[in-house]
Amino acid sequence: MDQRLFEFGAVEYHIKSSASDPQYVYLSISTPLLSQEVSLARGISQGTAQTIKGIHSDMVELIEPAAEGYQLTLRLDFYKIPQGKESSKIITEIASIQAAILSCQLKDMLTNVTSQDTSQGMYKPIKLVYHPREPFFVVRQPEKTTAVFPMRFQEKTDVIIATAFFQELMDVGSSEAWVKVPLCAWSPIPPPELRGEQMEDLSTNGGFISFDILPRHVKGKRLDKTVWNLLNFYAFVKYHVKCTRGFIQRRMRKRLDNLVKVLHVASSEEDGYAIDPQAAGCGCIKSIISVPKPNNTVRRRCRNFTRKIKRMRCPIKIQGFRRFRRRWLTVPKFSSPFKYTKLD
Amino acid sequence: MANSLRLYLTCIRNTLEAAMCLQNFPCQEVERHNKPEVELKTSPELLLKPILICRNEAEKCLIETSINSLRISLKVKQADELENILTKKFLRFLSMRAEAFQVLRRKPVQGYDISFLITNYHCEEMQKHKLIDFIVQFMEDIDKEISELKMSVNTRGRLVAAEFLKQFV
Repeated sequence: MDQRLFEFGAVEYHIKSSASDPQYVYLSISTPLLSQEVSLARGISQGTAQTIKGIHSDMVELIEPAAEGYQLTLRLDFYKIPQGKESSKIITEIASIQAAILSCQLKDMLTNVTSQDTSQGMYKPIKLVYHPREPFFVVRQPEKTTAVFPMRFQEKTDVIIATAFFQELMDVGSSEAWVKVPLCAWSPIPPPELRGEQMEDLSTNGGFISFDILPRHVKGKRLDKTVWNLLNFYAFVKYHVKCTRGFIQRRMRKRLDNLVKVLHVASSEEDGYAIDPQAAGCGCIKSIISVPKPNNTVRRRCRNFTRKIKRMRCPIKIQGFRRFRRRWLTVPKFSSPFKYTKLD
Repeated sequence: MANSLRLYLTCIRNTLEAAMCLQNFPCQEVERHNKPEVELKTSPELLLKPILICRNEAEKCLIETSINSLRISLKVKQADELENILTKKFLRFLSMRAEAFQVLRRKPVQGYDISFLITNYHCEEMQKHKLIDFIVQFMEDIDKEISELKMSVNTRGRLVAAEFLKQFV
């Protein structure tokens, strides 16, 4: 078997296995790096190697050197993969190795600072591309690392909703209860750190949002969370905008029902009877004016009351009289003035 | 309710009570046709002078009357961009479902956010004072709904921002 799979962002997977050795499958991954400017040592970083070793080392083995044209080659032992839920967990971890390669690169940037970053006394911004057409910048300084996100949206409504969200993000981040979080700032114009970058990267309609990452935000277990939040910030904002639009739509539909009810009550009072909702012209009107159907309790009470009345009328009980009365003493029912029921 | 809003709505109500005296009038141009004259504006003798009631520069109401129809156009206040898009979205949403309201116009008059068209047939089917109550109540409800929508959007944004920043702690 020799298959090539492609994912968005120019990610390529190569799966290969041979008939003579069906136990092992070779998986090679090629992914564009976050930054082309940061030089990497030959092969993959230490962080990526450690991540791979953490995924069941008896099943997954790192092959060095990697296949030609790929950054990483793994040998998977299919016979050792367990059945059931455990297998899906392992497969998920293998599938997320591509994200691990990129996040390890960002982790290296957040934790290391080199002299190559300075350019004429200013710290040179590093352009990172996690998702195509959505680059962001990282500026490394001795005291902190600043991540700057140029925001672009397709519709004006999205821009305004996102801008309102960024204002709230700034307000929440600057409050006393949230002192420990990275400082967040939004501006409609490019920040000074990005001066000198290409115009196509700096032309936006949603402004620029920046986070100041301090050393305490990248210590220990927080490093993974910080890296994950930064890499998925664009997706987070777009999801929030989408959910807000859905919320506005639901609310408008609910309000429409209430407004329409008022008008139809006004028109029904004039007519004096209930209006057929179909004639009103809107399929979304659920209840205008309707008489409620009697429920079981009401029916039971009516039945008991009728029985009491009957008992009051016939206090003396004669055995077999009921059948006699039903057969000989009932009044014939007339269904219409022009039709008569036949008497037995 | 603020004093200026109450005066504004009272003025609109009184004007509508005077203007909503409609009667059936067949079209003078085409035989066997019956059209709302306020829309066509072909015969000036059938039209009354339009009345413009302004609360301030941003809020106003235009009432155009004719012998058999009445058109009310409203301009709703929009303080910032968020209110602007919420108002546009909501009123466009209502206009696209105009058949549910019967008296609502599908497209607002130019320069206004929403328009109503009331004909003599509507006055025959519905009570006049109830119609006026509906229009005035609609204006109050729109203002209230836009304000609540804006507050809800900001509250959602705040909660989402707090959840995002919580992950850094």
